[in-house]
This record gives sequence, C-alpha cells and structure tokens, in this order.
Amino acid sequence: MKFVDEFRNAELGQVMAGEILASLEPGRHYKVMEVCGGHTHSIYKYGIDDLLPENVELVHGPGCPVCVIPMGRVDDGIAIAAQDGVIFTCFGDMMRVPGSTYTLLDAKAQGADVRMVYSPLDALRIARENPDREVVFFAIGFETTAPSTALTLKRAKAEGVTNFSAVCNHVTIVPPLRALLESPDLRLDGFIGPGHVCTVVGARPFQFIPVDYRRPVVISGFEPLDILQSVLMIMRQLREGRCEVENQYTRVVPPEGNLKALEVMAEVFELRPHFEWRGLGFISNSALRLSEAYADFDAERRFAVPGVRVADPKACQCGEVLKGVIKPWQCKVFGTACTPEHAIGTCMVSPEGACAAYYNFGRYAREREAV
Amino acid sequence: MTDSCDTTGRCITCGDEGVPMRVVTLTIDGAVCVDHAGARHEGIAVDLVEPVAPGDQVLVHAGVAIA
Repeated sequence: MKFVDEFRNAELGQVMAGEILASLEPGRHYKVMEVCGGHTHSIYKYGIDDLLPENVELVHGPGCPVCVIPMGRVDDGIAIAAQDGVIFTCFGDMMRVPGSTYTLLDAKAQGADVRMVYSPLDALRIARENPDREVVFFAIGFETTAPSTALTLKRAKAEGVTNFSAVCNHVTIVPPLRALLESPDLRLDGFIGPGHVCTVVGARPFQFIPVDYRRPVVISGFEPLDILQSVLMIMRQLREGRCEVENQYTRVVPPEGNLKALEVMAEVFELRPHFEWRGLGFISNSALRLSEAYADFDAERRFAVPGVRVADPKACQCGEVLKGVIKPWQCKVFGTACTPEHAIGTCMVSPEGACAAYYNFGRYAREREAV
Repeated sequence: MTDSCDTTGRCITCGDEGVPMRVVTLTIDGAVCVDHAGARHEGIAVDLVEPVAPGDQVLVHAGVAIA
C-alpha cells in the first residue's frame, strides 16, 4: 500500500544512518526526545536505536495518555462501572490499568458490565441499542483521540440520546512538554514531534519549543524511515545553527492541523484549570472536560464518584524516566517489583510506556551486548 | 476493526496510532475502508475530513478519519 512499504525500506535505513553519522559534531553526545508512544514502539520494533550512532541517544517522553491517568481516576471509573445498570465502555488499554486496588478487568470479573470498544462511536451505538441502560464511555487520549470523543458527543446530542455519558480524561501534549523543559535536571538537544497529534493541532502549538527553549523540533511520521529522517533533520538544524519546527510528516500533517476537528473539540470541551499526571504531578491547563453545553453528557456530574487522590508508591521513579534523567533499567524497581504483569508505575503500565517497551523489546539486545 | 491492543499488545491511544486506509464506499453509517493488510473496516466517520470519495486515502484513529 502506498505510503507504508516505501517507508520501511531497510537499505534506505542504512543510508540514512550513515548520513546522520556524517552530520554529527565529533565528540558530542546528543539526546533527542520522542514524545509519542507510537514512536517508542517503532523505535524498539525496528531497532532504530541500534541503527543510530552511539552518541545519539533517544529519550522517551510522556506520550502515554493511559499511563499518566492517576490511580484515583481509575478508581472513579471503576466506581461508575460497579453501579447497577451501567454499561461501562473503554479502550482495551484501560482495562488492565491498576487503580488503588483493582483494574477495570477485575471489576468485570466481579460482575460489572465493562466492555472494550475500539471507538467512542461503538459506545454510542451500544447506548442506542440499550435504551434502558446507562452507557458510559471512559475517554482517554491526547489531541489525536479527543476529536473522536467530541464527534461522538455531538452526534449523541443531535440524536437526542439521553442514556449516554463520558468520563473525560483527555490530556493535551504541550503543557507536559513545557513542564519537562522547565525541569532543571533535563538536558535535551531536540524533539521528535508527535505526528498524529499534529495532524489535528498542526505545527504552531510547538513553536514555543524553539522560541522559548532554543531546541529544534521535527514533526515525525511513524515508519522507521520517517523517524530516521526526522533525527537527520534535527541533527542538520543543530549543525547549521537553525532552531525551528520542521514537518517531516508532510504527507499527512497539514501545517494548520485539522480545522474541523479543532472546531468540534472547541464546541464540546473546555480546559481543566489543572490535572494530575502520574509521574509528573499537577500541571495547569493540561486536560479537557466537557463544556457547559455538554454538561448533560458528563458522567462525572451524572454519577457519584469517590474523587480521592491516590499517591503513587514511594519506590516509583517514573518521573525521572519520563524526564529522561534515568533509563528504565536504572530504576530501582525495574524488572523486579515492577513488571508489565505487576506494574507499580505509569511507565510500565501500558505496552507503549518507556519501561514496558524496553522490557518487551530492548532487554535482550542489552543482555547480548553485556555478554 | 483489527487494531486491538489485546491481541497485539498495542495501545491505540498510547501508540497514537493512525491507520492509513483506503475508502471503498460511503454509506449512511460512515465509510467502508480497507487497511494495508487488506482488512475491512466499517462505520468509519469521515465528518472531519469531508469531502471524501471512494479511492481516497484517509488516516483513521479510534474509528474516525482525522486526515
């Protein structure tokens, strides 16, 4: 299929790796952050970090909207799911995220009607098909996903569906990036920008990175050659003394984003003044909630929830991993108390989290190197 | 739809997954599309990328075409 196979060509990958090497300043160590879980996954799956020169290090940023949901909000979801007559719908990724005691999957095993959906539109369909039940959708994701929730709620309102509501945990990408950049112990040379978030929001929201923090940003696609080309573009900016937002993913990302998607989001959502991110703490204006016009569809108003803040375990060092200060294997509990099967912290919770991705893909390469 | 994170260990929100698909036909419930692997997907909402026609390529995330 066009636009997929060409971007996985291994020979071209080698050529690009050579060009990256040629663009580097000798003796300098580079740290480049990729924000998106999709990039983390591609990097490990295609062995891109092995292909890159040794002095180019990829750091995995906070691109996991599932991982960053605090345990207290998972508990709130479980409380709603446990109520009589509720059909609780969510993406598959949410089902295994632990709250303070249970996961949604545990709640399902205990009799709650929890159903996996691939789209909020599926949840709305379930509401139409079950008019005597309350259907709740647990909405998660960055700006890539928020438009689908917004579109679904818009349709629900237009159709006069009254038994449908959403718990909104949508988060925005810019505030945590700014929080990371403000952190004194962070040292990054550039950013690989989130290609699909940018499809919705465009390139402009990332201007603050070169303007305020003097670091280059390249918005990247997800195939291996996209990522390699993006690293090359960052290195060239650094070499040439440029500092700007460039778009590598031009075949998909329009510079202004998707205006219809932004309009729908502006109608249905408003910014929360602050929101807690697991591993990063409270960040202002970093998450969405339903606007007044859509208050009837807000599950947090429709249902009573505990609303209790649950602190992360003391052993958890996710904050440092997210900032790129330590690597997954440097965390004291990595692979011992904290594994994908029994995750303590956010970086291990989702398959796309830095620690889980490393645990599943990267460990073996490191062991071979050590031997 | 085939992008299930149960079977493949992928996470569509964390993976920020956008699946390129080709539009086959438009129905009242949304577009019918096929992906790179040839799998058929129904009910894809195309409201945010209109106008689309059969043969167009779209990028789909969570059942909604975003590009």
